[in-house]
Amino acid sequence: MSLERVHDMNAEPDPILIAQKLTKLYGDRIGCRDVSFSLWPGEVLGVVGESGSGKSTLLRCLAGIDRPTGGEVMFRHADKPISLFDIPEPTRRKLMRTEWGIVHQNPRDGLRMDVSAGGNVGERLMDRGDRHYGKIRAAAIDWLTRVEIGEDRIDDRPRQFSGGMQQRLQIARVLVPEPRLVFMDEPTGGLDVSVQARLLDLLRVLVRDLGIAAVIVTHDLAVARLLTDRLMVMKDGAVVEEGLTDQVLDDPQHAYTQLLTSAVLAA
Amino acid sequence: MTMMLKAEGLTKQFVLHNQGSVTLPVFAEVSFTVERGEAVILHGQSGVGKSTLLRILYGNYRPTLGHVHVRHGGDFVDIVTATPRRVLEARRKTLGFVSQFLRVIPRVKTIDIVKDPMLARGVTDDEASRRAGDMLARLNLPERLWSLAPTTFSGGEQQRVNIARSFVDPSPVLLLDEPTASLDATNRDVVVELIDEARKAGSAIVGIFHDEAVRDRVATRRLDLTAYRAAA
Repeated sequence: MSLERVHDMNAEPDPILIAQKLTKLYGDRIGCRDVSFSLWPGEVLGVVGESGSGKSTLLRCLAGIDRPTGGEVMFRHADKPISLFDIPEPTRRKLMRTEWGIVHQNPRDGLRMDVSAGGNVGERLMDRGDRHYGKIRAAAIDWLTRVEIGEDRIDDRPRQFSGGMQQRLQIARVLVPEPRLVFMDEPTGGLDVSVQARLLDLLRVLVRDLGIAAVIVTHDLAVARLLTDRLMVMKDGAVVEEGLTDQVLDDPQHAYTQLLTSAVLAA
Repeated sequence: MTMMLKAEGLTKQFVLHNQGSVTLPVFAEVSFTVERGEAVILHGQSGVGKSTLLRILYGNYRPTLGHVHVRHGGDFVDIVTATPRRVLEARRKTLGFVSQFLRVIPRVKTIDIVKDPMLARGVTDDEASRRAGDMLARLNLPERLWSLAPTTFSGGEQQRVNIARSFVDPSPVLLLDEPTASLDATNRDVVVELIDEARKAGSAIVGIFHDEAVRDRVATRRLDLTAYRAAA
């Protein structure tokens, strides 16, 4: 573990994800426009802004769910950059299943509600090609434990779980195939503060230990501060400011970021 | 003599866009260098920009003009223009910031908070545990607290956890923002010793201390910011 965490300072790896002038229009209405950035392995990028700022639209384009109106998303696969929307649909779907994961704000969008907790997690391993039942079940138990769901709940359906447990189960389902890239849309939205803290700490540790890259959309600046290395601030579909998370939050330069950071009540 | 940090023409003004775009000039054209084994103490009245300057050196604030070159590994990184990942890497290995406040993360144990920077630098888990324990003991934090998260600790205890974390494996460049403020005399003396040991082991230090006695014991040089005050 400790060896994995020593990063080679001299080697400059290639970005895992590159967005170039990404634009999404809904008719005349702008979802997002001209968004460009690169994301490196192990890096966590936060996207903040109020509702309607285009952050969820951006996430949907990055994750391959919505096709952008203009621009490009490049994903590094088998050591080559591939353009996400130039490849055939089945190939893109396969990548979405195996190379990255999406944590939805509402766990119901990411879970299969009529399948047991163990099944929700094990299914992803079968997608990846695992066939050995004993190994799949053992891995499922391991992951349920990591997200603090007791082994005795493995055969229960998600609808028997509380909201916080459902969200933790969704996270296990997303992370079990060990994706290289994870997208999260308001991962703690709609949860009690006490449950949020527990989930945030869990996410922080998992992302760090697995060294995965992540894009996290949130309107909660405290979540962004705890989980992200870098921040992009969006307004009216465009990025108005970006940089190191603590720098953007502590010394905001743009009028909108200043408004956003000063509007928060200190907890 | 090895130059560890070079501040070049640092100018800072805050622009408050939502308060009539008021511009608050702080200082202008601050340049200085810090060598290995030096402790430069920032001087000047409240409001002269000592904390602002320190935060700029760490990359937490963005200067209006100027550069901050930090020796990182074999070469220099300009904290002002480097990519966020370069700055984070420099912070992980080279550049440390110590304030009197611990940023508490829910549920993380005290001992793990202290071990964390060592693990990130590749120290083995066993050695990190041993050194973390020694440091916490030296700062008079009883062993029964080590396995607890510091969320419920007193301000002074949290402060000592933060100091243990920062001095257990001191960064080559250390930025200190009043780390001894509000400590009792015994613990303040321990911190002064730790700062001195880090400096003698080669750390380059830039610090702010209000306590005159502490300042005299720590400083090898003073930098008065009054001379750089920007015209309002």
